[in-house]
Amino acid sequence: MATPVIMPKLEMAQETATVVEWLKQEGEHVEKGEPLLAVETNKATVEIESPASGILAGIRVKPEQVVPVTEVIAYILQPGEELPREAEIISLPLPQAPVPPPVRATPVAQRMAQDRGVDLSTVVGTGPWGRVTKVDVEAALSVSHLAAGVRGEKVRATPAARRIAREREVDLSAVTGSGPRGRIQAADVLAFTPAPMVVSEPVAEVVPLTGVRRVIAERMATSAQTTARVTLVTEADATAFVEAREQLKADVADEWGFAPGYNDLLGIIVARALREFPYMNARLSDDGQTIERLAAVNLGMAVDTERGLLVPVIRNADQKGLQAFGTEFRALMERARAGKATPEDLTSGTFTVTNLGMYDIDAFTPIINLPEAAILGVGRIQPKPVVQDGEIVVRQMWTLSLVFDHRLVDGAPAARFLQRIKQFIENPYLLLG
Amino acid sequence: MALNKARKRELLRQMYTIRAFEEMAEQLYAMGRIHGTMHLSIGMEASAVGAVAALRPDDLILSTHRGHGHCIAKGADLNLMMAEFMGKENGYCRGRGGSMHIADVAGGNLGANGVVGGGIATAMGVAMGLKMKKRDQIILCFFGDGAANLGTFNESLNMAAIWSLPVVYVCENNQYAVSFSVKKAFAIERISDRAAGYGMPGVTVDGNDVVAVYEEVSQAVKRARKGEGPSLIENVTYRWRGHSKSDVNRYRTKEEIEAWKQKCPIQRFHALLIEEGMLTEEEADQIQQEASAAIDEAVEFAEASPEPTLETIEEGVYA
Amino acid sequence: MRELSYLEAVREALRQEMQRDERVFIIGEDVGVYGGAFGVTLGLVEEFGEERVMDTPISELGIAGAITGAALVGMRPVGEIMFMDFTTIAMEQLVNQAAKMRFMFGGTIEVPFVLRTPAGSGTGAAAQHSQSLENWFVHVPGLKVVMPSTPYDVKGLLLSSIRDDNPVIFVEHKLLYKTKGPVPEEPYTIPLGTAEVKREGRDLTIVATSIMVKRSLEAAEQLAQEGIEAEVVDPRTLKPLDEETIFRSVIKTGRVLIVHEACKTGGYGGELAAVIAGSEAFDYLDAPIVRLAGRDIPIPYNRNLEYHTVPQVENIIEAARRLARGGV
Repeated sequence: MATPVIMPKLEMAQETATVVEWLKQEGEHVEKGEPLLAVETNKATVEIESPASGILAGIRVKPEQVVPVTEVIAYILQPGEELPREAEIISLPLPQAPVPPPVRATPVAQRMAQDRGVDLSTVVGTGPWGRVTKVDVEAALSVSHLAAGVRGEKVRATPAARRIAREREVDLSAVTGSGPRGRIQAADVLAFTPAPMVVSEPVAEVVPLTGVRRVIAERMATSAQTTARVTLVTEADATAFVEAREQLKADVADEWGFAPGYNDLLGIIVARALREFPYMNARLSDDGQTIERLAAVNLGMAVDTERGLLVPVIRNADQKGLQAFGTEFRALMERARAGKATPEDLTSGTFTVTNLGMYDIDAFTPIINLPEAAILGVGRIQPKPVVQDGEIVVRQMWTLSLVFDHRLVDGAPAARFLQRIKQFIENPYLLLG
Repeated sequence: MALNKARKRELLRQMYTIRAFEEMAEQLYAMGRIHGTMHLSIGMEASAVGAVAALRPDDLILSTHRGHGHCIAKGADLNLMMAEFMGKENGYCRGRGGSMHIADVAGGNLGANGVVGGGIATAMGVAMGLKMKKRDQIILCFFGDGAANLGTFNESLNMAAIWSLPVVYVCENNQYAVSFSVKKAFAIERISDRAAGYGMPGVTVDGNDVVAVYEEVSQAVKRARKGEGPSLIENVTYRWRGHSKSDVNRYRTKEEIEAWKQKCPIQRFHALLIEEGMLTEEEADQIQQEASAAIDEAVEFAEASPEPTLETIEEGVYA
Repeated sequence: MRELSYLEAVREALRQEMQRDERVFIIGEDVGVYGGAFGVTLGLVEEFGEERVMDTPISELGIAGAITGAALVGMRPVGEIMFMDFTTIAMEQLVNQAAKMRFMFGGTIEVPFVLRTPAGSGTGAAAQHSQSLENWFVHVPGLKVVMPSTPYDVKGLLLSSIRDDNPVIFVEHKLLYKTKGPVPEEPYTIPLGTAEVKREGRDLTIVATSIMVKRSLEAAEQLAQEGIEAEVVDPRTLKPLDEETIFRSVIKTGRVLIVHEACKTGGYGGELAAVIAGSEAFDYLDAPIVRLAGRDIPIPYNRNLEYHTVPQVENIIEAARRLARGGV
């Protein structure tokens, strides 16, 4: 049978050898032990001896070729033998190093993913065998190595402190550490009493903060946090005002289709006052760099609806007579209360008036309806004893609360504006001027 | 005890077995079927066989990194040896030792050694133990010319001598310690001359003459068994292959190797036995073939043997 | 119970075991008529003869080879290398041969010996006669390492070591030889791999080896007066280590101070600290694990320098105090 000549492994870590030259030719007779070819290993040039006596045949490698060890490079045939067919050539496989089963993620990556709520199956692994590493998880969190340390301090706590915190469900970030460098120790956690929870009462009803409510909430918060709010309060003698309204009610209610109320009259007065004091009909520009005095006086009259506070706007209120104002106001109110108010109804206001008098309120500090400069809150009209010409008389008194944004208007100018409104209220005939 | 015909044939058979084993081991290594490294004793068969032949079956040996021949001469099972070389679970050492640390404890081979001279002090200790146990076993310790220059040679031979321990030290001087020639390593001509320095008999022998080795070692064994203490035998021999598998023989010439090949211990003995009429040519050939066949069988056995499992990886560290 | 010195306890163990088991013999330099470099084997050669109490030439490697070889053929040698520093000469036989033969030969052989060796500083013997190299041997698979701290422990542990079928490195601190304690007259064994809580406490755990056990106990006495109760745990066997006893103590106190004489870097304390930190006891640690050990310098000759090279009682007190008060 044909004897294979293999490229031998000569050194401990050898994987290949380079053929230098064949010392015997194809078809030559060789003796066992005779050198057949010279090969080069890392260390030196070595001669490979023939494993058997016979005819050298089937040379498969040539000089300068790099051959893996144990590969068949030729055959020694006995007389009459033929070379094995290709299919029969078996070169002995080297035992493979076992491929370790791929590990999905490194322990650090697993822990980090768990702590930060990252779904490991969505993270692309760049480690060996597609292993997910810490860097991969950080990438998933869009946290770079450098940023990780900057993004909020990690809590320093001993293992014992952490264990107790876990057991007692204490939030470590709320605990102050008494150990070195502020380290939280077990005693610190044991001594920690958390702030009382707000929700200890049973909850009766849950109202989702959505839609109108949500918008109101956001706008109120923004206004309260950004404006420099100052409140001016004064009492106006509304005796004549009340009389005027009574008179009008009697005269025009049928013709106009509605009985004019205090709000209508007040609206006319405020609109007129805004015309006289244009700096009260102003707002801060969007970029916060300029105060814009507005051309039109669009008066917003705050209305309480089922869905919450709405402020329908009567445009160009200073150019409307009482009837027009009142009609438009009622129409707006109806639409608002029916939930059919349009965006136009509710936008472009330049000043807002809000009345809580029907609830026996006197003075209050309404929140400015941004981006307006001020808001007028009025309470109830009620008879009160006042001093007039040294005598006590009973008059109808009305408390007016003007909350203005001191960023746009100073106190004295605002006070003059309010004073003017008071004057109009005390002497409605001035409106004829 | 003189060697009779049966014993002489046995010695020849052993030498052929060692040769076949070494050549097969070499081949298997070249084919990648044995890993690590190995130190072949081709050309040194007579030193191993002759020395061990002088022992009783219950005597002990300690061997070197070039210990395949010692192991076979001491009567090892070739199957178990080959299985060990392939790192298999049912090898002599459960695959944990390999070529350099092969041991046949039950058969009296207390192990080959990966550290040059590692057995010299231990052999002295073994001899001490044997003497204390009042057994008349002896221990034969093989080591090489390189080991003879270690500190342990000094400490151990001295202690063996002062206590008259039953150890026979056999130095296999194969002319080179890896690449360092004995001509450069020693300021003396014969390593056996050092024996006098420790107060024990020393003799230099033609290590390729199996009968000569046998006779000298027998003398030493007799002395040891009688309680007369240790001896140092120097077997002058030669290894045909490099020190290990990484050795490309840069430190010696092809001519030198060829010259020693002409003095092949097996060919010599083979020719001698034929000349003495102990053996016919056919019988000699048959011995050689049987040796080869036994090796082939061992390879088959070893390749079919199981690998150690990971579950057992920590076994055998502590008693 | 009568009191013996640590040295006398060693001698008694040797004598009793040699009486019980004729395979046991002693071998080392000057162990015979001289009685041993520290006097441990005084009187034994007179009782057992030169064949069982063997003096050797100065040949530490030879001694190691002798005990290895003799153990291979069924003897139970107790070798002595008179200073642990000189085990360096014997390393080849101890590490490459004795420790590995059983494993290399597939478990078909045993090497049952004890190598006794005095270690440690405090005698002014300086750099080459004062080392504590126990961690080198802990690091070698196949060896066991024992470091008893009291006369009671040393007798029981030596008897167990001689009866163990493995090579055991048995380390005796020189300064312990003269310390006294109660020792039962009859032979008794303390199993290898069992630690002992030498003193109970709740504020911190001190894990100490060899002479540091004694110093830690003294420190604990003083600390108690300050209201700090230290628990002192003595591993006794470094390898195999009784981890559970240590873990239980750490879980109880939450604070650990490890004290040993050997240089800190690469010392046994590092191994202990890692074992503790990697265990279930981790969750109960309320402070970093602290090691108090020898400075990373050779032992100096000058007395004061020598004193301050290794942990003393006051160092242990200070370290324990700082740890217990949470300032670490």
